[in-house]
Amino acid sequence: MNYPVWDLTFGAGLLIAIVSVVHVFVSHFAVGGGLFLVLTEQKAYREQNTALLEWLKRHTRFFVLLTVVFGAMTGVGIWFTIGLIHPSGTSILIHSYVWGWAIEWVFFFLEITAALLYLYGWDRVDRKTHLWLGWIYFVAAFMSMVIINGIITFMLTSGKWIETHNFWHGFFNPTYFPSLFARFAFSLALAGIYALITGTFQKNSDLKATVIRWSVRWIVPAFVILPLFIYWYIGQLPAEVWASAQGKMPTATRYANLALIFAILTFVAALVTLIRPKKVPFIYSFVVLAFAFVTMWSFEFIRESIRKPYIIYDYMYVNSIFKQPVEGDGGFSVENIREKGVLKVARWAENRTVTEENKLAAGREIFRLECQTCHGISGYRGMKGILSQKKWSYSMILNRLGSLDKMVNGVMPPFAGTEAEKEALAAYLASLAPAGAAVAPEAAPAADGETVFQQFCSDCHEASPDDPLFVKLGQFGIDQIRYLITRLDSLNEDMPPFEGNEVQRDALAKWILEQTKEK
Amino acid sequence: MMQPTIPQVDPIPLPAPYWLFKVLLIVTFVLHILAMNFMFGGAILAFVARLKGKKDPTYLRLSQDVVKKIPSFLAATITLGVAPLLFVQVLFGQYFYTSSILMAWPWFLVIPLLTLAYYGLYIVAFSGEKKAASHTWILLGSVVFLFLIGFFYTSNFTLMLRPEAWSSKYFADPSGWNLNWGDPQLIPRYLHFVVAATAIAGLMVAFTGFFKWNRDRAYARLLMDYGSRWYLYGTLAQFVVGIVFLLALPKEKMMLFMGKNVPATLLFWMAVILAVGAVVAVGRGLRRDDPRPQLRLAMWLTAVVVLFMAIARDILRMAFLPSFRPEQLQVQTQYSVLALFLILFVAGGILWVVMIRRYFAFSHADEA
Repeated sequence: MNYPVWDLTFGAGLLIAIVSVVHVFVSHFAVGGGLFLVLTEQKAYREQNTALLEWLKRHTRFFVLLTVVFGAMTGVGIWFTIGLIHPSGTSILIHSYVWGWAIEWVFFFLEITAALLYLYGWDRVDRKTHLWLGWIYFVAAFMSMVIINGIITFMLTSGKWIETHNFWHGFFNPTYFPSLFARFAFSLALAGIYALITGTFQKNSDLKATVIRWSVRWIVPAFVILPLFIYWYIGQLPAEVWASAQGKMPTATRYANLALIFAILTFVAALVTLIRPKKVPFIYSFVVLAFAFVTMWSFEFIRESIRKPYIIYDYMYVNSIFKQPVEGDGGFSVENIREKGVLKVARWAENRTVTEENKLAAGREIFRLECQTCHGISGYRGMKGILSQKKWSYSMILNRLGSLDKMVNGVMPPFAGTEAEKEALAAYLASLAPAGAAVAPEAAPAADGETVFQQFCSDCHEASPDDPLFVKLGQFGIDQIRYLITRLDSLNEDMPPFEGNEVQRDALAKWILEQTKEK
Repeated sequence: MMQPTIPQVDPIPLPAPYWLFKVLLIVTFVLHILAMNFMFGGAILAFVARLKGKKDPTYLRLSQDVVKKIPSFLAATITLGVAPLLFVQVLFGQYFYTSSILMAWPWFLVIPLLTLAYYGLYIVAFSGEKKAASHTWILLGSVVFLFLIGFFYTSNFTLMLRPEAWSSKYFADPSGWNLNWGDPQLIPRYLHFVVAATAIAGLMVAFTGFFKWNRDRAYARLLMDYGSRWYLYGTLAQFVVGIVFLLALPKEKMMLFMGKNVPATLLFWMAVILAVGAVVAVGRGLRRDDPRPQLRLAMWLTAVVVLFMAIARDILRMAFLPSFRPEQLQVQTQYSVLALFLILFVAGGILWVVMIRRYFAFSHADEA
């Protein structure tokens, strides 16, 4: 709205996801790995194990090349990327938390310097100084996590900040501590996992066994407590957020299951190495790494997907529109845009009004302004794909735009704009589906109830007995269900009227009844 | 003419007074640009020395010694670059985000290109002198990427000064492949930074000779002479490039430095005089048996020149942005966090110095 929208056809969300996930996986290693380095160094001195010490030197080089280069670059990369895709959200975060970031920068500077001195110091400084540098590294790295965690968790659980705009209220928000503990536990596990990689690479089998046993002592406990911290984290989420994540939001549920399964797999896979630690093949360490990667990736995806439709919870939607008008919002609130029209309010629009001639072009522009932060035209969450699968006609698309925020259990912001703009957007979207796909349902009536359900109801309702649709309709007979289907829009103002014909309606009623009986 | 479209200022007030952000922006920018000069210019110098090394192996040694330091300078460049990038977003977000989005792909590509350049430099730095010849290509690749990245930076930070050009660029191509073509100052300004980088890196290379002075006089002298020549030719070239840059500015902007704006004029001409002083000092140093005092003087003078130029750059930026009204910005200082930052900033700075000193108190294994 306030800024031009980067027209990234393959999907802006995908770009952020790629940069963030690779960063997360290295940045957590940078924290846990710091503690690992100093404790392993102390262990090697204590046990007078020169082989272990020599390995640790090589491991340090691997650690620095991965964290100082790739970790730092991708970290800055996230910042670059969100500035390009969510400029308004980024600007708000920067204005609210610039001193937080400035503090993080101080630690970042110490962290990078200490890492390089620790690496080059192996051949230069005495043991005491070397360990001292290692500890400075670890503490600085941990502190940068302490700070960035406050800002990331704020985006999901904005807490009291919404009313007070107070730095500390936003920073120490409800999920701050559980998230910090979970991330720290994970970072310790990652330290062990990366040590497994360079450890299994060793030819000296005694050294290999020592490193593997030592690494597993980092991975296994961390993966025991990690679920507890995540459980604590979930407990701190606003009830409605987690409720929607549990059953109603397919993406979050899928990732939650994935996280659990892969956490167990990582745990088991790490333990398995203890059976014959001298024989663990190098490639096996990558299996453990991959399992852990999927665990963390799923966790981050849950967090991202339950935050939807917001970029800052309860404050700003992902498409940079304010939920409520706030002072100095530039008119970019849902309320104001509905009144004046998105093409008039947006600063970066070529078509300022919708006419018959420019309808498709205006629709394309509205799509860019309101939808393209998440949806590509093709590609990731691409509308061509979605629409050719759903086979919606123009009027069905129009109906759905009216209750976008109710679709797929509220992961989307409401449509903001005038009726004419909504029609232009619907016309544009209808033009996207490949020829023949947008056949009106009347032309090819689907006769079986399940298909009808998929076509007309599944955007909001789950085909599951817990869904309100089945719970409520379960108490009625077939005639009543048939009648209620014709009155959908009066049952709930968010529901569009039934869009199918009579044959479809009857089939749907029959199918719903069968489902409720099965229960 | 139509009013240019400029985004609205962020609704969240500034969490500290405007001047504080301005001071921090300029100070951290100077540190960043110095580190960048050592890194980027150093990589160019090392590359050229490597080519010379084919005939004279002492240049190969020199090249390898310089290259070894580049990854750490790059780490410093990035770390010190984070701060000014943060403060520029606090103050000038409405300009900066917009120009970044217009050239989103090149701006985004800075990250992968820099990562590749970084690893390339590490590969060259970690290899011994024996492999130096075969790694010339890797070094060249990194240098080329750095040239590109620098160009993207100049492009973004000049495009943010041209709101009048935004709309036509954006609507002609919203997919983020714009650059700031069509701005007369783009190329001269870019060259201004590139040439400065080689000159200042020359001083850095000369300075590394200080540490070899007692142990290996001939080699130390080579480092100092090689660095000094880069500084001399670079700075002399800068007098030409600088004039072209100045003339490429719109007339009323150029006149800022010709008397229209007193601070800008003073800063600019003092910087020019100090630069001439530094050139004279370095030139004398080349003819002396011990060039160290002359080089030391030139370093101090150059540091002041960079600071003055950074302030002049800010005055120029403000002149390009008449729509930017600092006095209208809302301020609501976050005292507690600000105090915490200042304390940690000072404490962190002290710890940093202690770390460096304690580290360098030990001499390197192969130097002992």
